[in-house]
Amino acid sequence: MAESTSPRGTDDAGRSVIHDLGYRPYTGPRLGSTAIARSLVLTGFRNAFGLGRSGRSKVLPFLLLGLNLLPALIVAGIMAFVGLDRLPIGYAQYASTTQVLLGVFVASQAPVLFSRDLRHGTIALYLARPLPSAAYAVARWLSLLLATLVFLVLPVVILYAAALLTELDVSDQTREAGVALGLAVLLALSLAGVGGIIASWSTRRGFAVVATIAFLVIANGVVTAVQGIADGEGSTRVAEVAGLFSPYSLYRGLMGAWTDADTLAPPTGAGMVAAYVVVLVGLSAACVGALVARYRREASA
Amino acid sequence: MEPVVRTERLTKDYGAVLALDALTLDIGPGTTGLVGANGAGKSTFLKILLGLVPATGGRAEVLGHDVATEGAQVRAAVGYLPEHDCLPPDVSASDFVVHLGMMSGLPRVAARERAAEVLRHVGLAEERYRPMGGYSTGMKQKAKLAQALVHDPRLVLLDEPTNGLDPAARDEMLGLVRRIGHDFGIAVIVTSHLLGELERVSDHVVVLDGGTLLRASRTDEFLDATGALLVEVLGDDAQTRMADALAAAGVPVVRRGSLLSVDAADRGPRDVRDVVRDTAAELGLGLVRMQADHRHLEDVFADPSDAAVHDEPGVPRG
Repeated sequence: MAESTSPRGTDDAGRSVIHDLGYRPYTGPRLGSTAIARSLVLTGFRNAFGLGRSGRSKVLPFLLLGLNLLPALIVAGIMAFVGLDRLPIGYAQYASTTQVLLGVFVASQAPVLFSRDLRHGTIALYLARPLPSAAYAVARWLSLLLATLVFLVLPVVILYAAALLTELDVSDQTREAGVALGLAVLLALSLAGVGGIIASWSTRRGFAVVATIAFLVIANGVVTAVQGIADGEGSTRVAEVAGLFSPYSLYRGLMGAWTDADTLAPPTGAGMVAAYVVVLVGLSAACVGALVARYRREASA
Repeated sequence: MEPVVRTERLTKDYGAVLALDALTLDIGPGTTGLVGANGAGKSTFLKILLGLVPATGGRAEVLGHDVATEGAQVRAAVGYLPEHDCLPPDVSASDFVVHLGMMSGLPRVAARERAAEVLRHVGLAEERYRPMGGYSTGMKQKAKLAQALVHDPRLVLLDEPTNGLDPAARDEMLGLVRRIGHDFGIAVIVTSHLLGELERVSDHVVVLDGGTLLRASRTDEFLDATGALLVEVLGDDAQTRMADALAAAGVPVVRRGSLLSVDAADRGPRDVRDVVRDTAAELGLGLVRMQADHRHLEDVFADPSDAAVHDEPGVPRG
C-alpha cells in the first residue's frame, strides 16, 4: 500500500487516488436484542414478498397477492357502480373462497424464511450473533405470520372500504369485519406454524412447498369428505369433531359459528366452539415450540 | 495483558467421543493459531467459546464473559468465520454484510457504512453488488471474513479460513488475517490443519491433539528453538570435508540436504561462527551462507516427545 501513504490527493500521473484510511473501529451505538429481533422480523417480512431479494423472487408472491385481491377489487368496483344493499361475499368467507391461493402463498414463502438459512448454512452466522436460537425461530415465524396476515387482511380492508363507501350500516360492517380479522389472525397463526415447521424440516424448497400444500389441501379434502358423509348420515357430532383436523376446516367451522355464513357442520355449543379455538391456537403453539426446539438443536450441533 | 480467552479444565464429552479433555488455557491478544489434526477438537472449542455448544465440564471465559451464562455478550463482541459454506447464493455481499451487521446490533446506517468499509478492507470491489452464488471460492471466503468483521468485534474466530483456496488466494487470505491481528487491533484465533500457514501469521500457537493441549507458546519459540546454524559451503566434496573438520574441532554437525546444521551452543572460548569461518578458510572452501536454523512447526509433530517435554527456547533437539 505504498501509494496509499502519499500525502497528495493525486498520483504521479495526476489521477485521483483513494487514500486508505486504515481500519477504523466502530464507536457508535449497539442495539439490544429487542431491536435486533425487530429488524430480523421486518427483513423476513420483506423477504417473504421477495423484497430485498432478486427480481425473479418477487414474481410469485406478488402474483398470488394480486390474484387474491382481484375478487375484492371487482366486488368493490361493482359496489361503487351498481350499489348493492349488502356485500356479495362475507368478510370471513373471502379467505375460505381463496384458500388455495393462501395455501400456495404460505407453502411457497415459508421456505424463503426457514429453508434457505438451513440449506445454505447461513444459520451458523445468525447463531454466532447475539440473538438466541429461540428468538431467531420466533422472529422467523412472526415474519411469516405478518406476511400471511397481509394476505388475509388486505381483502377484508378493501371490502370494508367498499361497504362504507356505498353507505352500508357502519356498525354492522365494523362488527363483521372485526370478526373476520379475528378469524384471520387465528388462521394465520396456524398456517405460519404449519408452513414454518414443514419448511424447517425439509431444507429442499420444492419438497417443502409440495408437503405444505398437500398437508393443507389433502387434510381439508379428507375432513370435508368425512363431514359431508357424517352430515348426510345425520351424525353432526362426528362431522363437528372431524372439523378439528385441518386448519381450513377449523377456520370454516368458527366462521359458521361466529358469522351468518352457511357452512357444513359448524361447531354447536360453547364447548365445541372453544375446542375449535383451542386446537387452532394449540396447533400454532405446538409448531412454534417445535421450531424453537429445531433451532436450539441446530445451534448446538 | 488481559487474556481474551481463558479456559479451566474445559471438557466436552459427546459420549462416544471426548472432544475436549480438561483443557486449561489462556489465549492473549494478537493472533493465535489453533493447530490440530481434523477431529482434534478445534471446531468444538470455537463453538464452546461462542456459547453455542455447552461444555460438559470446566469453564471458559471470552473477553471476561462466562460463555455458559453470558453467551449473548460474547457473541456481540466476537466475529466468527465458519469452516463450511454459509452464504446464500441469491444475495449480494453488500446486502448480506449490511444485514448481518444489523443482526449484531448496528443501526441500519452504521451497518451500511461498516459493510462498505470491511468489504473494501477484504478486497471485494465492484463484485460486492453481484449475487454471491457466482463468486469464486476466494471471493466467498472474503465475504465470510467481511461478515465476521462488520460489527467491529474485539475477537474473531476464523475456522480454517484458507480451506479450498488456490495458492494466490491463500496468500491473500493469510495477509488479511495478519492485518486483522496487527493493523486492525482485533484479537484473532485462527485454526488450520496446515502448520506452515499458521507459522506465517500467528504470534502464538496452540496445538491440540485428541482434545488435550499438546503445547502452547509463542510462534518464535517454536521456530527459533533449534539454536543451530545452517551452513552452506561450496567446493570439491565441500560438505563432507567441512563436516569432518568441524567434528574434529569439537563442533557437532548434522547434514541437512545440501546444508550442514551446526550446533551453535556455546562450548568454549571461541564463537562457533568464528570456528565455521576459519574452518572454511583453512579448507579453501567458499562459505556461501551461515544463518540461524529456523525449525518448522511440523517438527513439533515430527518429534512429539520432544515438543511435549521441552518448552523453553534454545533446547537442542536430540
